This record gives sequence, C-alpha cells and structure tokens, in this order.
Amino acid sequence: MNRLANPELKEPAKQGSAMGSAKSRLTWIWSEYSVIIAFVIIFILAAIVSPRFLDINNQLNILMQVSIIGIVALGMTVVMLSGGIDLSVGSVLALVGVLTVLALNATGSILVGILTALASGVIIGLLNGLLVAKGKIASFIATLGMMAGARSIALYIAEGGSISGEVSGFTAIANTELWVIDVPIIIFILMAVLVYMLMHKTSFGRHVYALGSNEKAALLSAIRVDRVKIAVYSLAGLLVSVAAIIETSRLNSISSSSSGMQYELDAIAAVIIGGTRMTGGRGKVIGTFFGVLILGILNNMMNLMNVSPHLQGFVKGAIIIVAVVFQKRE
Amino acid sequence: MENKVYLEMRNIKKSFNGVKVLKGVSLQVQKGEVHALLGENGAGKSTLMNILGGVHQPDSGSITIEGRDVKMSDPRESKANGVSFIHQELNVVPDLMVYENLFLGTEIKNKFGFLHVEEMCRQTADILGRLGVDIHPKSYVRELDNSYKQFIEIAKSLLHKSELIIMDEPTSSLADHEVERLFTFIRNLKETGVSIIYISHKLKEIEEICDRFTVLRDGELAGAGIVKEFKLDQITKLMVGKAISNERFEHKEIQDTVLLEVNNLSTEGLYKNINFSVKAGEVVGFTGLAGDGRTELFESIFGYRKKYTGQIKVRGQVLKIDHPQKAVKAKIGFVPKNRKENAIIKDLSVIHNMSLSSLSKFNRNGLLDQSLERKRFRYYKDLLNIKVHDPNITIDKLSGGNQQKVMLAKWLEADPDILIFDNPTQGIDVGAKQEIYEQILALAAMGKAIIILSSEAPEILRLCQRIYVMYQGEIVSSFNGNRATEDMIMSYATGAKREDEQIG
Ligand SMILES: Nc1ncnc2c1ncn2[C@@H]1O[C@H](COP(=O)(O)OP(=O)(O)OP(=O)(O)O)[C@@H](O)[C@H]1O
Ligand SMILES: [Mg+2]
Repeated sequence: MNRLANPELKEPAKQGSAMGSAKSRLTWIWSEYSVIIAFVIIFILAAIVSPRFLDINNQLNILMQVSIIGIVALGMTVVMLSGGIDLSVGSVLALVGVLTVLALNATGSILVGILTALASGVIIGLLNGLLVAKGKIASFIATLGMMAGARSIALYIAEGGSISGEVSGFTAIANTELWVIDVPIIIFILMAVLVYMLMHKTSFGRHVYALGSNEKAALLSAIRVDRVKIAVYSLAGLLVSVAAIIETSRLNSISSSSSGMQYELDAIAAVIIGGTRMTGGRGKVIGTFFGVLILGILNNMMNLMNVSPHLQGFVKGAIIIVAVVFQKRE
Repeated sequence: MENKVYLEMRNIKKSFNGVKVLKGVSLQVQKGEVHALLGENGAGKSTLMNILGGVHQPDSGSITIEGRDVKMSDPRESKANGVSFIHQELNVVPDLMVYENLFLGTEIKNKFGFLHVEEMCRQTADILGRLGVDIHPKSYVRELDNSYKQFIEIAKSLLHKSELIIMDEPTSSLADHEVERLFTFIRNLKETGVSIIYISHKLKEIEEICDRFTVLRDGELAGAGIVKEFKLDQITKLMVGKAISNERFEHKEIQDTVLLEVNNLSTEGLYKNINFSVKAGEVVGFTGLAGDGRTELFESIFGYRKKYTGQIKVRGQVLKIDHPQKAVKAKIGFVPKNRKENAIIKDLSVIHNMSLSSLSKFNRNGLLDQSLERKRFRYYKDLLNIKVHDPNITIDKLSGGNQQKVMLAKWLEADPDILIFDNPTQGIDVGAKQEIYEQILALAAMGKAIIILSSEAPEILRLCQRIYVMYQGEIVSSFNGNRATEDMIMSYATGAKREDEQIG
C-alpha cells in the first residue's frame, strides 16, 4: 500500500556519510578542547622561538606570575558562567590588601590578617551579589560602581600611597617554596581543583550553569536563583581576597593606587580565551586554567624576545579577539 | 489539480557525530499542495526540514526545485530559493515589539535610510489581521500569550513572498479555533499556488488540511500517499507501528483527602475569584482559550508569581508560597508549557536536565552521585521511550518531542504529590502520547493529585474526571468528565455561555 514517492530508494549507501561523520567528530574535539590545543601550539612555538623558555626556572616563573591573576580568574569564571561579570576584582584586591596590612600591623597576628582579608573579600562580594540579585542592577553596572568605590576607599585609607607590613612572618606566605614549587603556585592549583569540583561535581555548580543558560527555566526548576547569584559573587570576592593575601605578602606591601590595576581585564581575558561564553551557561574551569597559562606564556615570550612593554597590550588584545573569533565558528 | 512537482529531495543522508539520523530519505512536494510530513518523535522530520532550510548540510543527496538543482548552503540561500521556514521551537525576541520581530533582519527603510516604522506597522497589522489575530504591532512580545508568539512566527514567514512554506508543528501551542483560522489562511495560500510542508502530531489536522503525506520512521521512508485514500488508523500504523485508541480512560477511585484547595485566589488583571480543590487520586483539567489566565493561575500556585490575594491550602494547611522552591517543598510539581522558554536548560546535558529539580536526591556528602543520575536517566529512558544516543550531549540536540519527554521525566523524578502539567504533550507523537497518558493515570492511581492544563479539548476529555473551563480569568463552568462534550466546553470557553454553578 505504500506508494513510494521515489522508486530509486534502495540505492546502495554512498561513502559520503562516513566521511561526514569523521569530520563532525573532529569539529567536536576542536570545540571541546580548543583551548588545550591552542595551549600546546603556543607552548611548542615558544619553545622553538626561545630556547630559554623550557628552562624549569622559567616555567616556574611563569606559573608564579600567573598565580594571582589565575586565582582571580577562577572566581571570574564562576561569575561569568552565571551570566554576570565582575569588574570590581582589581579594586577590591587593592582594598582587601590595604585592610589586611592594617589589621596585621594593628594586631601583629598573621592569622588575624588572613581572616580580615577573607572576611572583607566575602563581604564585598556579598554586597555585589545583593546589588545584582536583590537590587536587580545589571552586574556590569553594579560591579563598575564597586570598582570605583573600592578603589576610592583604598586610596583614602592609605592616603593615596602604599602601606607596608610590619609583621615579619607574613612575607613567608608568598615567598616560601615547597620542594621547588612556590607556595602561590600551589595555592593556585589547589584553588583551581576546588573550583573545578564545585562547578562540576556539586549542586551549586549545576545551579550556576542553569542560571547562566536560562534564568526563567532555572527559577521554574525550583532553584533559589537569588541565593545562587549572591553566592557566586561572594565566592568571587573570597578568591580575590586569597589573591590579595598573596599579592600583599609577596612584596610585604600594597599600593592603594596601582595594585590590582586592570586585573579585571586580564581575568576576563583568561576566561574568554578559556572558552567561557560571555552570556553565561557554557564554559569550563579547566578552560580558564589553560587560558591563564596562555596569557602567562605570551607575556613571558614577549619578555624573552624583548618586545617593548608598550606593545604587549596590543598582542594580548589581538589574541583575545582571535580566541573569540574561533569560538564563534562552532 | 495538475501534478506539477515543485520540490524534490532525493536520497538525503545525514549523521550527527556518527549517528545516522537520515538514512536516504526522499520527499516529493507538488505545486500548490499541503504535504504532511509525519513520523514518531526523533524520526528525522525536523532534520530533513533543516536541510531544506539550509540550517544543516546533508552528507549526501540532492535537492531540486522545479527541476533545477539547488544547494541550500545556508538559511539565506534557502530563502532566496523561495523557501520559508516556521521552526518547531519559537524564535521570537521577547524584548522587541511585534513589528520589530516580524521585520527582524529585513527592516524596511525609507529613502533617507531610516527605518520606515509606519510602513512596517501597517504591513504587520495587515498580515496579522488576515490571520485573524488582534494584537497591536507595537506591543512587546514578552507580554503576549504563547499562541500569539506562534502566530508571530507564522506571520514572519508569510511576509516574504515564498513558494514553499515549511511549517514544523505550527499548532503546538494553538487552541482549536486558532487552528481553524490558520487553516483558512493555508487554504488561501494554496489557491495562489504556494506549496506547504506541514509537520504535526495531530492527525485530525492532517485529515483536514493535507493533500498528500510522507511518513518517516527511524530516518527512513516508511511510506507516502494521498491522505484521502487512507484511513487515519492506517497512517498511524505506518508511523508508530500500531493502532492507537481514542477512548476515555477508566479511572481508579478518588480518595477522600483533599490535597490542594484554592479559595478566592485573585491577581489583578490575570484571574479572579478562583475556587477549586483536588483530591488524592483525582485528575482535574483546566481548559480555555488563549488569555484565559489558567497558566498564570498555576504559576501563582507554584510560587512563580507572588502578588496574589486569597488562600492556597496544601493538605489542609494554609501556605504562603512565594518561590517555586517552597512549592516543591510542599510537594507540588509544575511542568511548564513552552519548553524552550520555561523548561529547557539548553547548555546542560540531557541527564543533567532530568535531575535538575531533584539534585538533593543525588547528593552524597556534598558531591553529586553521577552514576546514580545515569541510572535514574536510564530508567526514564525506558519508561518514556526517550530517543537519545548519548545522554551526555546537550538537550537542544534532541528532537522536540524527546525534549518534552525529558521535562516530564524531570518532574517525575522530583516525585511531588500534586503534579501540574501545562500542555504536557506539546510536540509528542500519537504513540508516545498514549504512553504518557497511561503514566499520568498511574500516578493518580498511586494517590497523587493531577492537574492538567490544555487547550486541546479531546485531551482533557479523555483524561480528566473533573473539567474546569476558564474564560478571561474566571472559572465559568465545571463539568463532570464523563458527561462533558467538546461542544459544551467550547461554548463556555468562547464566552458564549456562562454559568457559575456546577453541572454534574
Ligand atoms: N544537532 C544534532 N546533534 C545530534 N543529534 C541530533 C541533532 N539534531 C537532531 N539530532 C538527532 O536526530 C534525530 C532526529 O531528530 P529530529 O529533530 O529530526 O526529529 P523529529 O522527527 O523532528 O522529531 P519530533 O517529532 O520530536 O520533533 C533525533 O534522534 C535527534 O536526537
Ligand atoms: Mg521536530
């Protein structure tokens, strides 16, 4: 009874589909792992261009240099996955640093210094979260306000200058090595693992992805969307405070005017290079990890090749744009 | 009608990630006919149309239009070849106005290069008027009911002169009388020689509007023919391999415990003075036309809308539900309509969508037990016959009907006592519909209270023991399911008749 519309149906299968599927598998690998592939390519290029690049000390040096931005970028990843952005990270880092040194000098206790840092970071993050979730202010605006506000308070407290720690043991945090590896590197890797676990293995992470992908559907799935947002910004604040502790401890001082300057840009760049989508819902913590390393290698390579520091921003900008263009192609 | 072939697709093959979705499908559409493209969920209908629409590229096969070989390398190319596409999932931009949506990407400019707003509004009003839809061209789409959004999608494809219109489930959120208006329009189009490919799971519509049909099954051609020469049963059998009954379901006994009671619930401008109660084991239906307020009513009961007056009692206790989380704590579940906007998290995998509303179940010392998630998903995959090769892919890769099944699984997994389904079978094929109805009745038999919102009177009639008809935010009538008929429902739903006391 079937009047087949086309009598020549039973033609043997053509080769085309097998080839097509191999191609589509390749595009899949590319879209999932493009950051890692890019990392490997840049790594090999760097090794060819400059023999000094592969030196273990140089490698550790790169890791050391990216650890602070790396920790900030981990928090930024979570914020951006939720569909927001945090422009205040650099200023908050300076403010937290200033508060930490004050607490340190006032009490003489390293523990109090660290606790002050963590508490102030979380509180500022919480404030960002409340503005976004309860105040319904766009994250770009809310954190732009916080960026200006936090910097200003840091400048006011430190009277525009730097303040230095007067407690001897504090510098040990950033300047100690375990075996051959500097502590900041270990903290960065540890934080990366923790944030990875949080985002990929817990309900909180699932909620953040859902929120960033479709807020209304997340709410109708009975997710406490407001609380998730507040938690996201608080977590970013917490990670900024960890970065602030390392930054302050490294030189035993913090500058209210220049510390943390433009960190938000580097952090956002690392997240974007790592493949996280600007509008949220899609991206990986591992991507950010490699995004940070790519930025670090580029900086290092340009230093080794004596590229003028004034031109380095241009190269970085170009890389970000290229990364985004590649992601758009999927 | 002379038999002039307009479109011919030959031996189309397509795989995604090595999975063969179309295994050599051919389709022939004549000039000026309405051609039904039928098949189960996941049979490959949308994929075939996406190839015609230039969204996907075939691995092999050819397309000819009026004998000319054409290559649809992108949607623009397809449009240039006279093909318009109404997609299965609505693509309107909520934050734009109606006319802006209609002319998105094809804005009319005046001679100075500025937007010619009046002209666009005029054409918008004209085309919507011809579709019998009364909305202002400058109203914002986000404020409109779903069926209007669907009409906007339809109008968008009609704006541009096209020779072939693909309609992928155009009526999945339309009520019966709205479907009628669409059909009048389709008939007019046919007169002017436009061909239409019509995809739908509603066989009644196929019988009414379509001339010929092609059935796909698992990516292969299962048959084709002239609609009039076949009985609907035969076509169903071609699609799902078995005949489907249309009988009313037998119900188990209703228990005495009232699970949900609503007293004098009102929200300014949405609904007013709503009173009803649902007992354990009962299946209650709410129906009406677009704008009757039923969805908003149950969104309030689920805590998505907060500003209401009146009382909601769950198991005899007055509850203030102001967040969906509280509703879920009170063991209320809600499967929303319009899955793309309200339910699907398109960046999460199929499994993760399934578990999203019951993550606490999968929590082991703060970490999610992913093997348990997989296990639960396999259970629902078998139970609801979800067609997916790899449940770790993102859910937007699934066929529409299979996405809907995952949404049902999500709320079955949350295991509430009171389960609200809003348009639960949107995009579900006839065979699977039957299975889903059986699942719903099994839930009722377990002592759950079931509420079904639907604009399809037959669905409500088959499933529900008590039926409430709403009109402009009020319950205008309630029937005992056994005694109600489609006509009775219609006369109240359209506001032709109203009566506040109960019949039956
Ligand atoms: N982009 C994609 N990647 C992977 N698989 C896909 C993709 N698009 C479709 N598929 C698969 O192809 C099959 C056919 O899907 P299609 O959407 O064509 O079905 P359909 O006949 O339209 O079904 P429905 O009636 O449910 O809409 C499904 O099994 C689906 O999972
Ligand atoms: Mg489809």
